[in-house]
Amino acid sequence: MPLLKTPAITLKSLKWGEADRIVTFYTIRFGKVRGVARGARRMKSRFGSALEPFVHCDLNLFEKHNDPLYRVTQADIRETFPRLREDLAVMSGAARMVNLVAAVTAEGDPAPRIFQTLLGGLRSLQDGGDPGLTTLLFQLKLLGQTGFRPQTDHCVACGASSPHLRRNGAAQFLPASGGLVCATCASRHPDRCLSLSPGSLAFIQQALRMTASVANRLKATGRVRAELEAAVECYVTVVAGKRLPPVDFLAAERREPAYGIGTFS
Amino acid sequence: MGIDQQGLLARLIRELVRLPGIGQKTAQRLAFHILKTEPEEALRLAEAIRAVKEGLAFCRQCHNIAEGDLCEFCLDPKRDRSKILVVEEPSTLYAIERSGGFRGLYHVLLGSLSPLDGIGPSDIRAEDLVNRLKDGGIQEVILATSPTIEGEATAIYLTKLMKPYGVRVTRIAYGIPVGMDLEYADEVTLIKSIEGRRDL
Repeated sequence: MPLLKTPAITLKSLKWGEADRIVTFYTIRFGKVRGVARGARRMKSRFGSALEPFVHCDLNLFEKHNDPLYRVTQADIRETFPRLREDLAVMSGAARMVNLVAAVTAEGDPAPRIFQTLLGGLRSLQDGGDPGLTTLLFQLKLLGQTGFRPQTDHCVACGASSPHLRRNGAAQFLPASGGLVCATCASRHPDRCLSLSPGSLAFIQQALRMTASVANRLKATGRVRAELEAAVECYVTVVAGKRLPPVDFLAAERREPAYGIGTFS
Repeated sequence: MGIDQQGLLARLIRELVRLPGIGQKTAQRLAFHILKTEPEEALRLAEAIRAVKEGLAFCRQCHNIAEGDLCEFCLDPKRDRSKILVVEEPSTLYAIERSGGFRGLYHVLLGSLSPLDGIGPSDIRAEDLVNRLKDGGIQEVILATSPTIEGEATAIYLTKLMKPYGVRVTRIAYGIPVGMDLEYADEVTLIKSIEGRRDL
């Protein structure tokens, strides 16, 4: 039952029992882990705000035999990213980042590069700029690092080379296959393909090729931006195997009420 | 030999296990306790659960739990009707009421926005709060949502929503809990408490 120490970023936490929390972290040393933080919701909890989502901290975990949940014994804050708590658009972008990391990574599978990408993404949001674009770039980068790099060099269905990938100037992206398809293959799935203009395609190729610090200089507006957001959203849904909470959560659809009583009529 | 899984006792245990914080062993202990008590006592518990589900509803005005059309606070003529304190859940309302520090009206959102879970404005009772402002007479709205991501998102959204109505919108203070040693406070709480300092 060893004591483990690692830098971590809090992905999400849910209330548990009387005053506890079950917290999901992405750590450098152990990848995604979940732990119970006893008494974390109490006023005088020693954890304070260290277990809030998006916080970068130094984590102490206690591993229990035959228990997939760690016991969180200490969390010391490194970075808190205050802007992520003060602006709804920035908060939404950060939420998508942690939700995507949680969805595409397995527990106990460390990948320091993913940790650094997430940390870089949160820092970019904190530093300002367009939160929607920062989130878009982050998603492309993370998909590339987790083995889901969108294929833009040849047809993912038949392997045809790039000259055959454009029809009337636009390329066809098939989210279910994770890349571009040639005109012949696209005609077999016309309702499942998304058109990408040359500008959108160039953006994706540049974003995947560049390092994170250089990619932040890329810009996308108007039609190109709309195409990119639609393509990435559809592909993320395919990769995650479910619809992630929308980036624009203010437009989210109504859910079932939590209480089993109504109003007197 | 274990408890008959199709039997009445197992059914009671299964229902008790569904309650928050109740595990299999605790449910079994409670089930045997209910079995040992006088029939009237056990039936009183069952009747109380039935009465809660059938006799309670949400207040038409503030969405607190009520035994009639309006809750006890909306009906009380002695309350300050120029102030509304906004909370996420009825349980928070009663915690504030226990403190005795607020004598105005309440508004219960019955939830909070969550960018992490995709919970949007249509899931909380924000529009009803705006309707109360439209009715007039409100001078101040105090946002008492939790200092979590969800609570902050809700407070930011409500502030934008209420701005056009010209009422004073305030947020409860962040700071050090009474009786706590400052050296053990985390960085965010310390910064927020310094930002929220006041003149003496």
